[in-house]
Amino acid sequence: MSPKPHRILLDRVSGYADEAGAYLRRRRQTRRPFARVYAAGGRSVAYEPGTEAARALFLAASRLIDAADR
Amino acid sequence: MSRTKDSRPRPGASPPIPDAELAVARMREMSADLRGCAVLDAAGAELAASGGSDWASAGQALFAAAEEAGPGPVSQVHVATEDGEVFAVREEGLAMVAVTERFTLASLVLFDMRTVLRDLAAGEGIPDRRAPAPDPQGEPAA
Repeated sequence: MSPKPHRILLDRVSGYADEAGAYLRRRRQTRRPFARVYAAGGRSVAYEPGTEAARALFLAASRLIDAADR
Repeated sequence: MSRTKDSRPRPGASPPIPDAELAVARMREMSADLRGCAVLDAAGAELAASGGSDWASAGQALFAAAEEAGPGPVSQVHVATEDGEVFAVREEGLAMVAVTERFTLASLVLFDMRTVLRDLAAGEGIPDRRAPAPDPQGEPAA
């Protein structure tokens, strides 16, 4: 039995809405500032923006951005 | 450009400043999103930079903050902010710091930085692509 026409339309609209929501989530994720430090052995640590370590890294990074733009 | 074995920098010694300048020029050529970069020696002093100022102290501050964060001896740092992205790489006693536009391909930038630093540390010389090669006939280029 084939699905009713309005069901196809609703599925399509909800599919588009899901896609749009996923796009916005990805965009938020990629736009979020982050700091990552790689150790000599290949280990890496990511620091959440609110932490003390991240603050120091962001401060130093902004000094470098200023140095480049000067 | 190649050098004889005797003219290569000793291990741990800073490379000649013209080579560091060529390294900066090569980075600018390879990375379209680059806003600026600098090469630092083992002590954190600036050997060459693409422009701007205060690279040495800002670069040292970034490495100090990364060391303070504490995952171990730092080999590279990547910080993304709203104003741009910052990369720092240590390789064979040298360091390079770079600032790029946002959403640049981080792995490529880090690879380019490491490659340039390795060539610089090896003392093999960096190809100078800033000017055309001289004409062996001495005739001006058309």
